[in-house]
Amino acid sequence: MIESPNLTPSSPTPPNLSTASKATRIIGWAALAVTGLALLFGLVISGPEVNMRDSVRLLYVHVPSILTAYTCFGITLVGSVMYLRTQSQFWDLAAASAAEVGVVFLGLGLVTGALWGKPTWGTYWEWDPRLTSTAVMFIMYIGYLAIRRMEFSPEVRSRRAAVVGIISILNVIIVHYSVQWWRGLHQGQTFGLDPQIRDMQYFSWFLGTVAMALVASWLLIHRFRVSWLERQVEESQLVRALAERRREAGE
Amino acid sequence: MTELDLTPLSPDSEPSGIRSWRNWLIGGALIAVASVLIYQALTTARVYFLNVDEAMDRRGELADDTFNLQGTVTTEPATASDGTITFTMSFGGADAEVLHVGNAPSGLFKMGEQVVAEGRWQGDEFVSDRLLVKHSEEYVEDNPSRVDYELDGSEADIGAPAFDVAGF
Amino acid sequence: MYWGFVAAGYLAVIGVLSGYAWWLVNRGRALSRDVPEEKRRFLD
Repeated sequence: MIESPNLTPSSPTPPNLSTASKATRIIGWAALAVTGLALLFGLVISGPEVNMRDSVRLLYVHVPSILTAYTCFGITLVGSVMYLRTQSQFWDLAAASAAEVGVVFLGLGLVTGALWGKPTWGTYWEWDPRLTSTAVMFIMYIGYLAIRRMEFSPEVRSRRAAVVGIISILNVIIVHYSVQWWRGLHQGQTFGLDPQIRDMQYFSWFLGTVAMALVASWLLIHRFRVSWLERQVEESQLVRALAERRREAGE
Repeated sequence: MTELDLTPLSPDSEPSGIRSWRNWLIGGALIAVASVLIYQALTTARVYFLNVDEAMDRRGELADDTFNLQGTVTTEPATASDGTITFTMSFGGADAEVLHVGNAPSGLFKMGEQVVAEGRWQGDEFVSDRLLVKHSEEYVEDNPSRVDYELDGSEADIGAPAFDVAGF
Repeated sequence: MYWGFVAAGYLAVIGVLSGYAWWLVNRGRALSRDVPEEKRRFLD
């Protein structure tokens, strides 16, 4: 991308407009390196599964996507609780940023799951408890993001979002235990304390999880900083609008 | 009296009436979608499938209701020239003869696999129009150097035929 | 076998995540122009 040249004579160095920092650069490079390894192990070094053949490779991105989404929604829960306790902008923006990143990963989890389901089950989608509850969870968190775009005053908006951010965690619990509580098409837990997968395949899944965690951390920090900037712009617009109204009233 | 200035404060801001109307519309659409999903969950996923033994016990009560039948394929599936497939599905010591007349099942469909068939009883036969393979949570790598390897004490790979390894 | 599904899934993941990252970086830059430097002190 071509940056517009800074022609102001008083500033010899162009202003730093980036939301990056030393920490995010380290996380970013680590994320790229581990992603490269995960692709190598997931697509080349590990072998196919006896029945699923190569479609098993989709599980090295499907399961980590969902786990990352769960973690993000956990951060939204913590941020929401802390916001209601402290009214701190930090926790409010952390909750909002994590929800958006979580929705992105959950969406990817749904897509990769569907692409695995077609060759394995014979269908992209089935209304079984795990898939249905995941779809409900996806809609709930999109609803959370919609509340954050509504035209309430910032305090009302943050408070309502926090309440939804807390209630929505019930969905995560339902989704996670749906394969134990109800009968369904979706298989039970493979990657638990007693993993039902071994060796190279297990390691490939592990690398996928680490890669996604690093990518999610990078995205989360940048999303938080962008949200923070959005809040600054929103507040300065509010101040400007108020000044304008006062000036009009004074005339 | 001075004339009112009706120009927006910033050129890119929309009148707030339109924006809040649009937001309520999006909110309403989300609630509608969520309601459909919850309805689906409560109706179809309440009891997602019946095992073969349960479906046999409740055959009279089920009459010609559509439901999902779950079991293991215990005979070699036979495909007729018109594409219909016949096989036996077993679970809990009960066996059901299945006539499948619907979709082509996934490549994993074979004897020994767990399946879920959507259909209804017609006489002694279960007529299915949607057949899905239910994969277990156990994954076994197809690795030539590991054919003697046991997973959870099962003998899944012991004595695997040579073509399994050489074929892929 | 089933490489088409695998490719579609991996491309979707890589495409969406890199697109989102790209959008975030550019949105941050655009917003930074409207925020004075002293209010961008979250950078370490």
